[in-house]
Amino acid sequence: MRTDAPKISIDGLSKVFSSRSGTVTALDSVSLRIAPGTFCVVVGPSGCGKTTLLRIVAGLEQQSSGNFHIARQDPRKPLNSMVFQGDSIFPWMTVWDNAAYGLKMRGAGRAEIKDVVSHYLDRTGLRRFADYYPHQLSGGMRQRVSIARAFANDPEVLFMDEPFSALDEQNKVLLQEELLRIWEEHKKTVIFITHSVDEAVTLGDQIVVMTAHPGRIKAIVDIDFPRPRNILELRRDPKFGELVFTIWGYLRAEVDLARKASH
Amino acid sequence: MPSLLERHGDRVIGILSPLLLLLVWEGLVRFHFISGMFFPAPTSILATFMRLAGTGELWTNIGVSLRRLFWGFVIGGLPALVLGIVMGLSKPFRLFFNPLVASTYPIPKSALLPLVLLIFGLEENSKIAMVAMGVFYPVLMNSVTGVQQIPKIYFDVGTNFGASRWQTFKTIAVPGAAPFILTGIKLGVGMGLILISIAEMVGATSGLGYMIWNAWQLMDVETMYVGLFIIAFLGFAFTLLLDEAERWLLPWRPA
Repeated sequence: MRTDAPKISIDGLSKVFSSRSGTVTALDSVSLRIAPGTFCVVVGPSGCGKTTLLRIVAGLEQQSSGNFHIARQDPRKPLNSMVFQGDSIFPWMTVWDNAAYGLKMRGAGRAEIKDVVSHYLDRTGLRRFADYYPHQLSGGMRQRVSIARAFANDPEVLFMDEPFSALDEQNKVLLQEELLRIWEEHKKTVIFITHSVDEAVTLGDQIVVMTAHPGRIKAIVDIDFPRPRNILELRRDPKFGELVFTIWGYLRAEVDLARKASH
Repeated sequence: MPSLLERHGDRVIGILSPLLLLLVWEGLVRFHFISGMFFPAPTSILATFMRLAGTGELWTNIGVSLRRLFWGFVIGGLPALVLGIVMGLSKPFRLFFNPLVASTYPIPKSALLPLVLLIFGLEENSKIAMVAMGVFYPVLMNSVTGVQQIPKIYFDVGTNFGASRWQTFKTIAVPGAAPFILTGIKLGVGMGLILISIAEMVGATSGLGYMIWNAWQLMDVETMYVGLFIIAFLGFAFTLLLDEAERWLLPWRPA
């Protein structure tokens, strides 16, 4: 699947926040190439700027320096769609209207909206709940709506910002499985942010380990577990444990450093 | 089969207190504990109500007041809604208009009646203007707050999914602020009723306020009470109506 031309290229991206008490370098010249069809997971401690990185490439925030490029294949498609951290589906819209949001905003046809939205509601097991409002759904189901909304928008690349961090362990595994199943239909390029090493190894093809203060890339680890993946089987694989151990090794030093710095 | 009280228990209790008050009132007048001249018995107020309703005069006055309330609401409420949402969305707008709102809001609207009469004359327009001023502020202020309390993440979603300015207004700002806007409208109703009564007492020849004022001049205390009861009833009915509208307009809110 991977070709030479990267789908996402990030070059020397930096972000400095200034406030009255001084400046904080959230991102320090981050460079990254992500090949088409790659499920790229960025993992790092809180405060390492991973969310900032994602918000910049998603166009929600302005970088201080450096640049990035997302290769367009189809000029009619939106460049990116994001699955946000926490509750981001509109409480005032039904499940259906939430999932259809991107398509409606770009004026897609009625028939297209109907086809695409029912497909992704089926895939996320939400079809029965199409007319429900978010307050009637559990946290896991609300996050499924958010996933359906991003996929239904059919973007060039998908961004996910710790989408499962608020869920309990059982729900998390279920949603990881569902996400992989849906993703494998089209294998769009993904950047997925998490602080969970397990989650990173479970989902990713390419793991970007980031360090905090300032946010830098510490290591890039390629994962070659075959797809489609079975999450439970995967966790039994000794290679899984080794990879988790390796990545923890990179992070460990960082977490210690951060702890010392804060004392 | 549950009994009537079981099924409608809460509502029955709610009706009980005003009923009891009327009963005690009636008794106190009948046994001359309070003066019927200032506090006519509920039964004689009811009799006056029937007489006034029969002549049609009452309905004319109610109709006139309702029409003024309606136009006051439209003329004061709609601009307040739009301006409030725009102020909530845009910081420069907010910074520009805030001092104007903050400095004019504390002026008692009733104190502006002479000026309003001067500008709009003794006819309909001055009454409508009074209601409009009363409705304007609560709707405006609640719309601003309503938009500002919308979590920022929803606007990020709008940006990320390519919502235009107008789409953001329509799909995020208005529905997100709607619960606050409705509260503003409810407060506006109360304000509107106060101001229409005051406005109609001065230089008007019709309306509920005029009816009450005129009754005072004629020492027709029963008619005064009929007017008061009807204003109270209107306020109560509007509240019920708006609660119902809220259920219908905001089905997404947890009960």
